[in-house]
Amino acid sequence: MQVKLILAPLAGTAVDPDVVRVATTLAKAWKAQVLLVHVIEVRWNMPLDAVLEADTERGEVILDEALRLAEQAAVKVDSELVQAREAAAAIIDTARDRSADLIVLGMPYRKRLGRVYVGKTVTSVYVGAPCAVLAYRQEETR
Amino acid sequence: MKDEADPKQAKADKKAEPPPLTLEDERRAASGRLPGNRYVRIVRPAAGEFRRSRGHYVATERSLTPESRFGRRYQRLRRFFLGKRLGMEEEADQRVSKLTGLAVLAPSNVSSSAYATEEMLRVIALAGVGALALALPIALVVIAVLAIVVVSEIRVIHAYPGGGGSYIVARDNIGIVPGLVAAAALLVDYVLTVAVSTAAGVIAISSVVPELGDGRVGLGIAMIGLLVIGHLRGIREAGALFAIPTYAYIGAVGALIAYGAYRIWVGDVPAPVMPRDDLETTGVTAVTALLLVRAFSAGAVAITGTEAVANVVPGFKAPEKRNATLTLLLMAGTLAVLFMGLTFLATRIGIIPDAGEVESVNSMIARSVFGDASVPYYAVQLTTAVFLLVAANTGFSGFPRLAAVLANDRFMPRQFAYQGDRLSNSFGIVALALVAGLILAMFGGSVSALVPLYTIAVFLSFLLSQVGLLRRWLRLREARWWLWAAINAIGAGIMAGLVLTIAITRFLDGAWLVLFLLPVIVLLLYAINRHYLAVHDALTLTDFDRPLPEPSPPAVIVPVARLDRSALQAIAFARSISPHVRAVHVATTPGSAEEFKKRWARWAGRVPLDIIESPYRSLVEPLLRYIDRVNERDPRPLTIVLAEFVPRHWWEFVLHSQTAFRLKANLLFRPDTIVINVPYHFRDTGDIAGEAATGTVRSQEPG
Repeated sequence: MQVKLILAPLAGTAVDPDVVRVATTLAKAWKAQVLLVHVIEVRWNMPLDAVLEADTERGEVILDEALRLAEQAAVKVDSELVQAREAAAAIIDTARDRSADLIVLGMPYRKRLGRVYVGKTVTSVYVGAPCAVLAYRQEETR
Repeated sequence: MKDEADPKQAKADKKAEPPPLTLEDERRAASGRLPGNRYVRIVRPAAGEFRRSRGHYVATERSLTPESRFGRRYQRLRRFFLGKRLGMEEEADQRVSKLTGLAVLAPSNVSSSAYATEEMLRVIALAGVGALALALPIALVVIAVLAIVVVSEIRVIHAYPGGGGSYIVARDNIGIVPGLVAAAALLVDYVLTVAVSTAAGVIAISSVVPELGDGRVGLGIAMIGLLVIGHLRGIREAGALFAIPTYAYIGAVGALIAYGAYRIWVGDVPAPVMPRDDLETTGVTAVTALLLVRAFSAGAVAITGTEAVANVVPGFKAPEKRNATLTLLLMAGTLAVLFMGLTFLATRIGIIPDAGEVESVNSMIARSVFGDASVPYYAVQLTTAVFLLVAANTGFSGFPRLAAVLANDRFMPRQFAYQGDRLSNSFGIVALALVAGLILAMFGGSVSALVPLYTIAVFLSFLLSQVGLLRRWLRLREARWWLWAAINAIGAGIMAGLVLTIAITRFLDGAWLVLFLLPVIVLLLYAINRHYLAVHDALTLTDFDRPLPEPSPPAVIVPVARLDRSALQAIAFARSISPHVRAVHVATTPGSAEEFKKRWARWAGRVPLDIIESPYRSLVEPLLRYIDRVNERDPRPLTIVLAEFVPRHWWEFVLHSQTAFRLKANLLFRPDTIVINVPYHFRDTGDIAGEAATGTVRSQEPG
């Protein structure tokens, strides 16, 4: 498997640092580049290119924190901020546009109705991604 | 009107428009794989280096990464020694707890227990062996004074939680000059604490390895360097780094006192170790009041270092005041136990100080209690030696903080208030190390030569603090003011007595130097403040409601040494900022002047040119005189545009005369003169190589 670009979507949850660590560890082994992506979901009652200052600032903070973490691993890393109606579609399209070879997805440990809940975004990316997908579920919170 | 209507022209204009001078995001729409899956990429021109927060940009750590390879290597080296950079949000994490604070601040105070008993016994011994029993009551008086000082310092911590200690108390309650005297005394105290502790530590090392004795100044400076690195890493890490020696010393000496007291309690009083060189203990002096006062002032060295906590209150974790108070109580309690315990053992065992100062009283106590060449004895000696070495910690914690407080009050250069990469006051740390290193070298690393210098400074600061607090209670009349006022009145009286005693009895030993230095430092601090106030008055915007001035195009002079690409670039720039541009060239021979005129007509004929012939071959002076005379006729602020050739590598600078650089240096202090540098980077001229191949350029070398 030839991996040149690993895409790591970050949502600003507790699993983000683990996602960055997994992505950078793999990137180091494969001498690949990491692309950190944060998707701002725009509500339907607003234009897609609306300037959402609070969300943009939050996204920048998420990406900066992740960049700082990734740079410690000494791998080539880049970041991208995207606005879309749905995060999953934007992740898939970004992976396609940037010819990503692997997507490392993070799943925060959540439970619904007594079962571990896999979010809509993870499921959609798993199904629709053009490349390999690695899902990292956070360990059980005690 | 025709132009406005022409869409082609509008498109061309839009193309010619330069990109916006901003870091604003650019939004680029992209279509997804499925219809309706459109998304917008937010292109951030400085992604990772700047992020936005509350409507402004925040520089991230990435923006501080040097772009050159050398810069990155230097940064890696810095990070190895000093640790990673800390952001302001990490400031709270860098604050110290009570135990770490004790490790950093206690060394100066607690280490005095290593020699306070001995200092006291040396004075009392003059009245004979029988008089040595007086050491215990005198030590009790010292502890009582310590209690007064501690109570006062606690009041200082609560009244002035911003730090600054005696300086702030004296400044607020007595006046600026007494405040500055207290500050100067504390600064001197801290510098000498570092010098004395390092010298003492080095002597402790050279006692074990005598071969190192010859290089003790160098070794001392190396030790100061080590402490600088520790403190540049931040107070918290310094505390962690130096906590082991502190607690090891407290543990070892505590065990010595406990075991010695136990042996005395069970009736197994240790036999005293005799000094190698006997003191004259046959009662050459009567037990007079003066002798007792001198003994007390010698023992009072134990109080030094108590002031450190009140100076650094903001460095403690929240609640700062409570933690600082508890640290102070822990520190003073530890000192009291160790000092009283060692004095008790010395008097009960019957230790007589060594006249030759080869062996310390504490060493003799330890040998008496544990026995010669025993493991616990060596443990006490080793921990004492290492602890003395790190006692300089207190100076490194106190000096930079006090200097920062003074800098914020504009009594010291502003650089002292600057917090470095690790949130420590780096400038103060380095300055302290330089001054302490210099003093260490000046005094040849001798402890005995340095000790008399510094006790007077610290007692003077205590005196001013006590008087300041007394005036505060009398002014504010808060609850129980009479009690605090009485305590401070007693404290002030004792401190005044101590200052006078030391000033008189130790004047010739070196106290004169401090008494001479203090007014000099006060004058210096005052002069710095006067300068800052004058600058502030000149620059302040308060009561300045004039609109932003809109100056007319300036008069521009472009000195041209050689007519080359770099000069043409500077001339073009000058013409872009003003229509009133004049070039000036200094020629050393009539022939070169004529030649220059011809070339000027060919390349820059539209710009008026003055040529100055300088038969004495001087370039800069005639230019400066020309600028002066032109400016006399034209009162507008003058703008000098300088063409500066920048070679590819730094070492290539020596190959060029750098006339522009010399001219810039000369114009730096010229009033109403704006100097603009137009650099011409050698690496920017990618076309030169190609043109050189065809022989069209480099007819003149840049100068």
